[in-house]
Amino acid sequence: MSISISVQAKDFDLGAEYDRLRSIGDGLGAIVTFTGLVRDFESRPEEPQYSRKLTTLTLQHYPEMTERLLSDIVEQALTRWSLLGVTVIHRIGSLSPNDQIVLVGVASTHRHDAFQAAEFVMDYLKTRATFWKKAHVDGQEQWLDAKHSDANAAARWDDIKHD
Amino acid sequence: MLNLLFFGRLGDLASGIDKAIPYHIDLATPLAIRNKLAEQHPLLTKELSEPQVLVSVNKMIVKWDHPLFDGDEVAFLPPVTGG
Repeated sequence: MSISISVQAKDFDLGAEYDRLRSIGDGLGAIVTFTGLVRDFESRPEEPQYSRKLTTLTLQHYPEMTERLLSDIVEQALTRWSLLGVTVIHRIGSLSPNDQIVLVGVASTHRHDAFQAAEFVMDYLKTRATFWKKAHVDGQEQWLDAKHSDANAAARWDDIKHD
Repeated sequence: MLNLLFFGRLGDLASGIDKAIPYHIDLATPLAIRNKLAEQHPLLTKELSEPQVLVSVNKMIVKWDHPLFDGDEVAFLPPVTGG
């Protein structure tokens, strides 16, 4: 089992992370990677017409607790699916539009486990890991609100029994 | 002493308050600390009272009536927005 969790300011190399998962070898048949990027606008689901140009996104987190929560999430994924490797990288600090912000990579024998686990880890990361985003919009700073859609996305895993 | 941490928007609202407070039996739960803050920081306390705000002690999520001990780190956590 290859598990790698990192909270870091520096950028990551998707190719290097993919190669590391690919080197797992025995039984490997699928790798799913998800990369999240910083959008160049800020929108609000409850105000469909609202859209503002975003210049900077600042990521705060709770050191040590974040890593432990991410580790818990990965452990839960391991109990639900048959996995060979999981990589989670989340960046902190000041980011610009189009910057990479998060990477989830999952390796497994069959694709179903990797697809499902990657989505599960992202859904739980968004609703449970101690990160907070501050957007710099129109020359002003504002802490972003949590989205109901993210809570709903995470909640659906509560009802799904792994087959 | 108790070490208080405020994250996200709570950090802005708590910028002026003392984060290291003497341990006292009357301030031995996160709820008691929240109520104590209400005297001088009503805006912060209002935000802290939102049901989505979580509290952790020594980096474990706990209930608001969790007993505190000298040296504990108490963190107030607004809804997370990572990813």
